[in-house]
Amino acid sequence: MKSRVIFYIVFVGVMSLSFATGCGQKDTNEVVVYVSEDQVFSEPIFRDFEAETGIKVKAVYDTEETKSTGVMNRLIGEMHNPQADVYWANEPIRAIVLKQKGISEQYFSPNAEGIPANFKDPQGYWTGFSARARVLIVSEEGLIYQTPTSIFTYTDDIWKTKGVMANPLFGTTTSWIAALFTVWGDERARDFMKRMKENGTKVSTSNGESTMLVVNNEFLFSVVDSDDATNAMRNGKPVWQIYPDQEEGELGCLVLPNATVLIKGGPNPENGRKLIDYLLSPQTERKLAFADCAQIPLHKGVETPNDVITIGKLKLMKVDFEAVARKLQEIQPYLKEWVGY
Amino acid sequence: MAKRLTLYITIFLLIGIGLAPVISIFIKSLFVDGEFSLQNYGTLFQSDREWRLLFNSLTLAGATTLITLLLGVPLGMLFTKTDLPLKRLFAILFVIPLIIPSYILAIAWFYCLGRSGIVAIIFNVDFGIITSNLLFGFAGTLFVMVSALLPIVIILTMTYLRMVNPNLEEAARLHCSWTMVLRKITIPLIYPGIALAALIVFILTLGEFGVPSSLRFDVYSVESFTRFSAFYDFNTATTAAMPLGIITFIVLIVERLFLRKKTFIFRAAGSEKTMVMAPLGRTKPFFMAAVSILVFILVIVPLGVLLYKSVSFSAYAEAFIRSIGSIMRSLVYASVGATCLVVFGFFLGYLLERRALKFSFAADSIAIFLFALPGTVIGIGLISLWNTPGTNFIYASMGIIIFGYIAQYTALGERVLAATFSHLPHSMEEAGQIAGADWFRRLFKILIPLAKRGMAAAWLICFIFCLRDIGITMMVYPPAHDTLPVRIFTLMANSPDDLISALCVIMIIITLLPLFGLWLANKCAKKASTLG
Repeated sequence: MKSRVIFYIVFVGVMSLSFATGCGQKDTNEVVVYVSEDQVFSEPIFRDFEAETGIKVKAVYDTEETKSTGVMNRLIGEMHNPQADVYWANEPIRAIVLKQKGISEQYFSPNAEGIPANFKDPQGYWTGFSARARVLIVSEEGLIYQTPTSIFTYTDDIWKTKGVMANPLFGTTTSWIAALFTVWGDERARDFMKRMKENGTKVSTSNGESTMLVVNNEFLFSVVDSDDATNAMRNGKPVWQIYPDQEEGELGCLVLPNATVLIKGGPNPENGRKLIDYLLSPQTERKLAFADCAQIPLHKGVETPNDVITIGKLKLMKVDFEAVARKLQEIQPYLKEWVGY
Repeated sequence: MAKRLTLYITIFLLIGIGLAPVISIFIKSLFVDGEFSLQNYGTLFQSDREWRLLFNSLTLAGATTLITLLLGVPLGMLFTKTDLPLKRLFAILFVIPLIIPSYILAIAWFYCLGRSGIVAIIFNVDFGIITSNLLFGFAGTLFVMVSALLPIVIILTMTYLRMVNPNLEEAARLHCSWTMVLRKITIPLIYPGIALAALIVFILTLGEFGVPSSLRFDVYSVESFTRFSAFYDFNTATTAAMPLGIITFIVLIVERLFLRKKTFIFRAAGSEKTMVMAPLGRTKPFFMAAVSILVFILVIVPLGVLLYKSVSFSAYAEAFIRSIGSIMRSLVYASVGATCLVVFGFFLGYLLERRALKFSFAADSIAIFLFALPGTVIGIGLISLWNTPGTNFIYASMGIIIFGYIAQYTALGERVLAATFSHLPHSMEEAGQIAGADWFRRLFKILIPLAKRGMAAAWLICFIFCLRDIGITMMVYPPAHDTLPVRIFTLMANSPDDLISALCVIMIIITLLPLFGLWLANKCAKKASTLG
């Protein structure tokens, strides 16, 4: 009898241990955030938020392979049972997709007032902050070769098989391609993509990997996010960052802000709003400018290090993010075909 | 009755935790816009890419299996049946890559063979280009997979060799040379062990996600993850996983037809003391040199690279600060997972070995089928089934990760404990039964005490697999429940090399912790018995 009791205690106990240990008391003073920004940069911001507010941050981060789509897709999957309060998107397009799918909730943060109008949603479903530019990263060897100044380097015979680009099905690369489609129109954009492929452009899994490949001279150049390039340079890697198409009559450089999104039906909406306020503050923009991600502040007058360009000095690619988001979904089958899915 | 009830409960839980999520996503994939349709499957293999991915997966799995067998069986023999100097040390060194998550090996080799890697620095850039081209693609992926899975073949070869009846070899030695004895007697006797090793290596390679993803070799398991993560398309992700499911079924049928009867027919176990040893004689220096070179290339180099890259106190301090929570969670989750897996493995292993129920093979097939499925597919199934308000207590807790471990790794505990039970004479339990002991008394007084060494081994193996898991955990981990492998994977973007290397070294150390604990416990036990 005794052994039977012990058996049931062990058997049932062990089987239910996974629930018991994992389902502790829910901490009401917490906020759940899904993050597409690199963990190495976003995590210190959450630590500061925790220290300043006493609110515990629970985060789920994207991997490099699924940058900005992994957790967004998880948000879509959890639409009927939301787990997150806030989504920190690393570009606004996915935030717009969430708005279109009815997953996000309106919130006009008081700290959004200093953000330029073209970097926030007029209806308050998302608000941009701390931006990144799509820049050319060029290896030392590439600069000896010739200095590239335009994204047309991808289609230039001189650079045949020398370029790499992150998978256009993911992250900011998708947004960049979709932006080109909205600015140029379908025909010209498809022609560019076709010529890029014909010129031997290779596809990497992510911008981080593209950067690593250029750093290691596997390829001579790539269009990546400015945080990838600046970070590599600050780590003493032999690469240079070039803002493309800055001359008169040229396309300009695509600038993609991070975006905060309040999730509809999230478990801690009040804390979610507090976190969004914190992320949109000039102090956070300053931290992200001085961090290795070297992001460009959108508030005026925020102090930046010398190697971070101010938004006013850049010739920007003129895009309507809502149009880019629509185009992004429209060209998905074409991109799948282009990549070979 | 109590025995049958216990076994039924175990099978029911395995089906509920492991199989139900997979069935759930399979059923969902049969519906398009609420209507039954085979449309998703109609689009399968319409593009050349899918055929290429399937070909890549099979080629990689086949080549990895072949090479690990060609290397692992001779190495296992050298470490068990010969007088090779330092053979224990070599055996331990060769096992280390198995306990390291395989993508960490890929990172180490990238630091070594990349265009700006250590090899390029030592020799020249052109040589670095050659090594880099070899690393990124089939050759590099195959090399890393071989180094990661070779220990499985070595361990199983050593284990089965120790079970060979020495009398057979001694009799053969009266008439034949050692080469002939090994060829005609020893190897045929351990053939089931070799086949089991081949099966495990093939299945693990087929489902591998981290290494092909890191080294940019397109395979089917990466495809399934991508389809979910990039497009959030459960249906196409499930459809993409089906060819792997079919291959798994074929492998299971092959195992059932050709191996099963042999797998558990062990000969009378001989201890190492009574084992017939084959002296290497004049060839000893040659084998010594060959094994040293191999251990240097496959083990010392990647470990050395990680240590070299992380040789900074600040990197380790940063790594600890950033990951202490993940380290603790990894240890807790892997311990809980391994404990659950030993409980499952105990009863399923008993069921399989003692044929305690009519459908014992069916339960084994379910466990092996789940083991063979890519972790991403099981992850998708778990999300699909458990992400509801009513089951939030599981979905939003570590429970979902533990469920994933149970679903994927039950076969490991089951097979190890089945092998353990095959050593235990039926007569002991039967004697207890005749004496009037009920099931629970027999369980606690006979079976568990006799199987405790096997249970410890199963726990260790399951702990290692749970600790290094990335496929399932990455898909399902709830907020603030990330494990160390997940943290390494998510931190890899833009983090300094020394931080990632330090995290990898920490990962290796925490994986070795239970092995160290076991060694310490063993030493204490020996000391106590000596004093006693």
